[in-house]
Amino acid sequence: MSVVLDLDGPRTTVRRLAQQAWEARELIAILARREFFARYRRATLGVVWAIALPLLQAVVLAVIFTRVARLPLPGNAFVFVFSGMAAWAFFSAALSAASTAIVDNSQLSSKIYFPRVALPLVAVASNTFVAVVNIVIVLIAVYTSGVDPTVNVLLLLPGLALLIALTAATSALFAALHVYFRDMRYLVQAGLLLSFYLTPVFYPLSRAPGALDVIVRLNPMTGVIELYRAATVGADAHYGIAVAISVAWTLVIGATATRMYANFDRVFADLL
Amino acid sequence: MSDSSAIRLAGVGKRYTKYEDAPALVNTTRQLLRGHRRSQLWALRGIDLDVAAGECLGVIGRNGSGKSTLLQLLCGVTAPSEGRVRVRGRVAPLISVGVGFHPELTGRENIYVNAAILGLRRQEIDNKVDEIVDFAGIADFIDTPVKFYSSGMFVRLGFSVAIQVEPEVLLVDEVLAVGDLAFQMKCFERMRAIREQGVTIAFVTHNLTIVRNLCDRVVVLDHGNKAFDGAPDAAVTRFHELLAEVREPEGSDIGWAVHKAGVATIEVEGLYADGARTQSLRADNSVVARLVVRALADLRDAYVGVAVHAADGTLVYSEPDLATTLPALTTNGTLTIDVRMQPTLPTGTYALSAGLYQRPTGPGKAIQLAVTPALSFHVVGRPMVQGTADLGANFQLVDGQSTSVR
Repeated sequence: MSVVLDLDGPRTTVRRLAQQAWEARELIAILARREFFARYRRATLGVVWAIALPLLQAVVLAVIFTRVARLPLPGNAFVFVFSGMAAWAFFSAALSAASTAIVDNSQLSSKIYFPRVALPLVAVASNTFVAVVNIVIVLIAVYTSGVDPTVNVLLLLPGLALLIALTAATSALFAALHVYFRDMRYLVQAGLLLSFYLTPVFYPLSRAPGALDVIVRLNPMTGVIELYRAATVGADAHYGIAVAISVAWTLVIGATATRMYANFDRVFADLL
Repeated sequence: MSDSSAIRLAGVGKRYTKYEDAPALVNTTRQLLRGHRRSQLWALRGIDLDVAAGECLGVIGRNGSGKSTLLQLLCGVTAPSEGRVRVRGRVAPLISVGVGFHPELTGRENIYVNAAILGLRRQEIDNKVDEIVDFAGIADFIDTPVKFYSSGMFVRLGFSVAIQVEPEVLLVDEVLAVGDLAFQMKCFERMRAIREQGVTIAFVTHNLTIVRNLCDRVVVLDHGNKAFDGAPDAAVTRFHELLAEVREPEGSDIGWAVHKAGVATIEVEGLYADGARTQSLRADNSVVARLVVRALADLRDAYVGVAVHAADGTLVYSEPDLATTLPALTTNGTLTIDVRMQPTLPTGTYALSAGLYQRPTGPGKAIQLAVTPALSFHVVGRPMVQGTADLGANFQLVDGQSTSVR
């Protein structure tokens, strides 16, 4: 019988935290499954909605950008916009659900201990299905729209990985902050609303609006979207820099979140 | 940490910050402007506790005495503000029956979620799922969403999951008070079995009967401090003393009486049966409780009353002697009053307390001058009698006809 609990203060070592989070992987998977299936449980069409909604969004974008508004975009306009949208939609949906996860699950987290970082990760994981559906739609669009697919299509894999890592790190950080500042919920909503326009979803990075150019280039999501673009219609010439910036953001946010959890993981319950 | 202890607390304290009900921004600004810190509250302080593996510990105390905080510390939901908490082995908190149940999911799906939260691996859950369904006794409904369950079924399923986790340390918080009687008995039997398997149990409860029947050792908490640590019977007595010690602030309204301190004291000097002092009574033998009243100031228009509580805190009997007004006393004067009673009670432990009251001078409430700490006593009741009172039933056959079977 080993010592499983040894507490002399709220602080946990990063090593212990990482170990606990790793041990909780099955729990995260089971909870994410619960979340995902419970969401569609009473709907007659059930999980079909998880595919239908992203598909509908793609169709709407296709109609708008190829028939209604003919923007001068590089390559196929629909593929261009949708490969940006595919990444953004996941980031936005997962982050808004995950950044309140610890507080939303207070009924659970004030009764029993498991590493609290599991809760935002569950919210992110339960949204990954949509990210994968979106990637599939992107692939279908690439192969049917006359864009010449190259081996670059494989860049969607690191793109998806970076997207999930960035979303997970950001969600974990905001979920922890939200316990202390309940305004976080609204700040995240406001931030997402604004940053949609500061992310090159329906314009190329090279044509970012003048004064905002720097902000768009430093935007953590820009690198992810550029990776998606590189896989489909071709990205900005210097997209490598954008990707590096995204990776750097992911590491910085991840490290900050880790620090927060190491300090506060065991006392979140006091504030719920 | 010695090898035998499953739970060890050393100098443990838990401090909470009191929040005022204002938006965080208002609070923070106020704090910055006035430069004062938020007021703090110690929910627990200076707790030392060593529970050996296989021991069954009971924790009792009034509301707000720190019981729940102690359990939260033991299951690691929160960290101590000072001191150190160490627990060995897999902990399963039965605090949280059905925590994480999703109303839209079926019973079976929820078993997986709940068991995973309690720390089981998927493989382990696969092996136990039938046993869990079986123990809960809801096989017919296991593929129905739990929101269609009755509250009893819900709790039964939750309890079954928690108990099948096979913990090395089990933390229990009042959960046995749920479900129908048959299921409660089943749970109780299971708890006994678990205890016999050598599982360490920490039990937080108001049910003193369970504490007596199940625990090896009981801790009494009072205002975040450990007031007692030892044998269950002595702990229950100490708990009753604490209950009796609750003094309302002077002049406060306690329903039927107004409290006023410093006029007189009262104590139960002892219980006597057949002229001998005893704390062990027989239901068929009368007992005399000797009360001693001492005046601290001039005392007039006073009368006494007695009350008996059962071990779980239920009031069994109380009666004021309104017919007799005590003789007036001056400072330091004493009076001795003998109260003869017939302890027609079922077998069990009870607590006797007495109160001293003053008649109001005009219309209004009586004035409570003093109450005694509770004195515990044991009653050996008539055989087979159960319940809270012995009504002395007399069964008599009035009319009958014998029929013979051909």
